[in-house]
Amino acid sequence: MKFIKTIIATLVLLPALALAGEGYPLDHAPDRSNNMAALQNGAKLFVNYCLNCHAAASMRYSRLADLGLTEDQIRANLLLSGDKVGDLMTRTLSVKDAKAWFGVSPPDLSVIARAKASESGTGPDWLYTYLRSYYKDDTRPTGWNNMVFPNVGMPHVLWELQGVRGAEFEEVEDENDHSKKTLEFKKFTTITPGKLTAAEYDSNVADLVAYLNWMGEPEQSTRKRLGVWVLIWLSLLSVLAWRLNASYWKEVK
Amino acid sequence: MAFVEKKLPADAPVIDKALNWVDSRFPLTKLWNDQWGQYYAPKNFNFWYIFGSLAMLVLVIQIVTGIFLVMNYKPDAGLAFTSVEFIMREVPWGWLIRYMHSTGASAFFIIIYLHMARALMYGSYRKPRELVWLFGFAIFLCLMAEAFFGYLLPWGQMSYWGAQVIVNLFGAIPVIGPDLSLWIRGDYVVSDATLNRFFSFHVIAIPLVLLGLVVAHLIALHEVGSNNPDGIEIKENLDANGHPVDGVPSHPYYTFHDIFGVTVFLILFSAVVFFAPEMGGYFLESNNFIPADSLKTPLHIAPTWYFTPFYSILRATTSDFLYIVQAGIAAYVVLIYLKSSLPALIKAAIAGIGLVMIVGMMPFGLDAKFWGVVLFGSSVMILAGMPWLDQSPVKSIRYRPDWHKIVLVVFGITFMTLGYLGVQPPSPTRNLIAQVSAVLYFAFFLLMPWWSAMGTFKPVPKRVTFKPH
Amino acid sequence: MSNEKQVDSGRRGLLVATCAAGGVVGLSATGAFVSTFQPSERAKAGGAPVEVDISTLKPGEMTTAEWRGKPVWILKRTPEMMASLKATQSEVADPDSAKPYTMPLPEYCEKQSRARKEHEDVLIAVGICSHLGCSPSKKFTPGAQPSLPDNWAGGFLCPCHGSTFDLSGRVFKNKPAPQNLDVPRHMYISDTKIVIGKDEKGEA
Repeated sequence: MKFIKTIIATLVLLPALALAGEGYPLDHAPDRSNNMAALQNGAKLFVNYCLNCHAAASMRYSRLADLGLTEDQIRANLLLSGDKVGDLMTRTLSVKDAKAWFGVSPPDLSVIARAKASESGTGPDWLYTYLRSYYKDDTRPTGWNNMVFPNVGMPHVLWELQGVRGAEFEEVEDENDHSKKTLEFKKFTTITPGKLTAAEYDSNVADLVAYLNWMGEPEQSTRKRLGVWVLIWLSLLSVLAWRLNASYWKEVK
Repeated sequence: MAFVEKKLPADAPVIDKALNWVDSRFPLTKLWNDQWGQYYAPKNFNFWYIFGSLAMLVLVIQIVTGIFLVMNYKPDAGLAFTSVEFIMREVPWGWLIRYMHSTGASAFFIIIYLHMARALMYGSYRKPRELVWLFGFAIFLCLMAEAFFGYLLPWGQMSYWGAQVIVNLFGAIPVIGPDLSLWIRGDYVVSDATLNRFFSFHVIAIPLVLLGLVVAHLIALHEVGSNNPDGIEIKENLDANGHPVDGVPSHPYYTFHDIFGVTVFLILFSAVVFFAPEMGGYFLESNNFIPADSLKTPLHIAPTWYFTPFYSILRATTSDFLYIVQAGIAAYVVLIYLKSSLPALIKAAIAGIGLVMIVGMMPFGLDAKFWGVVLFGSSVMILAGMPWLDQSPVKSIRYRPDWHKIVLVVFGITFMTLGYLGVQPPSPTRNLIAQVSAVLYFAFFLLMPWWSAMGTFKPVPKRVTFKPH
Repeated sequence: MSNEKQVDSGRRGLLVATCAAGGVVGLSATGAFVSTFQPSERAKAGGAPVEVDISTLKPGEMTTAEWRGKPVWILKRTPEMMASLKATQSEVADPDSAKPYTMPLPEYCEKQSRARKEHEDVLIAVGICSHLGCSPSKKFTPGAQPSLPDNWAGGFLCPCHGSTFDLSGRVFKNKPAPQNLDVPRHMYISDTKIVIGKDEKGEA
């Protein structure tokens, strides 16, 4: 039995040796899930920059109250015209028009933070890196390209905040096939500064990503809080059940 | 026999009178006693014996959470994905019900694999329990079907493409394949028609069959009595009252023992539900948070983790691997002829099947895709043969030669390796490991009639190993 | 003997404690499941207060708004219509709305006009008959008509079983319908904008 247990323990650790994810390395998104101010700022950025092309059709405006906002505040600052507080965050852009303008219909963002998780990082990590990895590329229809999502159909919506950056590539030998050459990313270059400094931009993106993470599962913090109590109570119950069981089995010879 | 109702004294408690009324018309107390109250089970059950009860608990959890999910889920290709998010956000406590159901599905398979491991270790499938094992095997098949059909319902990318791939597997069957796939789907690709019928299978058809099979499984078990870690038949040693000396009545001993086991399970279950419902993308896959898109296949389609051991075998079956399989079949037929005492007719039948397979695997025969499906199916079906493959004179691993333990552990590692490889994207190295593992997997079963009887067996005690506590 | 008693009481104590702790788990889980039946956020959003603009509503005209899935009539009554209410006062079964249908008459509504004092000519009523739930038709023209009495001064007639209501939505005596039409909680955010389903006290 001990032998079996050792084997199982070793096996459980094996997956840790799994190959690291390939592709552009993802930065770690700062955890602002408990920061109401950050989440409110993220909500504002989301409504102003994202909701024109993207929808979040599973998200109801009234739920923003969970971020410490009153109905009046939501109505005054966060509603797109024509929407009511009880409405879902739908968009006016039709799928047909979207495909015509961008080549693909911008996806619904209700659960985007959950959809982008992978071995390379969490969903928020992906989003945080994505929104900070745009560079100018005149070969693309939108004039923009992205290191995390090559040839993406989405333009750099936040360009005024971040500024315009270029990307420098270097030709190197392909590590898999030494007869070929590939372009290796070296660094970003600043072409035009934006309204925000790099640190300010990163912080705002962190807020936006924190909001997207919250929106993906608004119940997250309640779930964890409740979980603590559930586990405490079940531990108590299991101790009682253990002693109760022992009280019967001591009769068995 | 004339109807007889026992007469109780006038001052007997109402509850006793009520029970008496029922018992005269329905064998309630008898059922309770036969199935649990006075069902004598071996007193030396260990940790491995909790999984049967846990499986029943999880079945109940799945059914109850399923009932509540169906109240708000919409089985329509255009509405399904959103209806799941509706449950998560807008139905009071809907998120809890959903997470319990998704965690319960994975928990069910972990429990069932451990439950089967117990059977392997202690020979629980041996005579006279072959039927218990066969009913259990049927339950396993139904469970896999239930999980497969259920996984389409959220209508995410993984749901859609997983279903597409598996249904297309049926297309590999020669002659009838493509028509069969079309018939299963109800359309040219997985679509709303497929979703609706999978919904019906998942919600009512298979659960009914499952419940029936579980009842049969338990009746068969109670008829012959439970096995135990020592593999001793406790009914062979009865006391003056006709009860097994090594047994205890399930009530109260296993009632409270199982209650304790359940509380420990609930802690683990709740830890996942409340703190890690996605389980790193294994219980709730990230790709499934993208609505199904029939025009865009995700980069890595993998079945959910509990199918991956068998899926690995399917993927490992390349045209090159078929040569190994042919050689293996040929060697096996030779082994059957030289080293088995089966009747001549059976030997001939095996040789015939082997020949057909070898010819079919030739480059001019059926393609590797078809044989992959055959091996995939066989890797599941072979489990049913355990009662007849195991020729050991002794049931439990405890009294078998020590090296049998190594064989069992290697099998376990092989099974888990196949599973692990199944969630990874394919690569030449991984393919090779999968092929080696597939050979080991089949060898474990197919060579069992020989290896299970080899070595020096230890004497089996008359009484079970039990330490009072 | 005493040892057995100790075991028994110890065991009984554990049994009670375990049952109690387990009972909490069971009740909590049951509570969560039963709560899923409560109206969802979607249902609650659908039941939110509704704003109606009556700036274009002329005397004698009626408009219908939808609130909580039900038709809500807003009728701008003429002076003749208001006068008819004195006559019907003795002909209706419950002139003071003492026994309401599903909603009590809001405290700020007058008894006869069943409207706020500042806007007494505007009737706001849920157009669902208190008999079996059909929606009555408007019959504002006075005088004898089929199914209506000779002294008909205007009001509503329910087509299903013939119940009649006066121009305040009060049911006439001896009709199948037992109660007056509901008047929902409401408030005026301006002279021409009404919110149905909400008043000074909050949302209905």
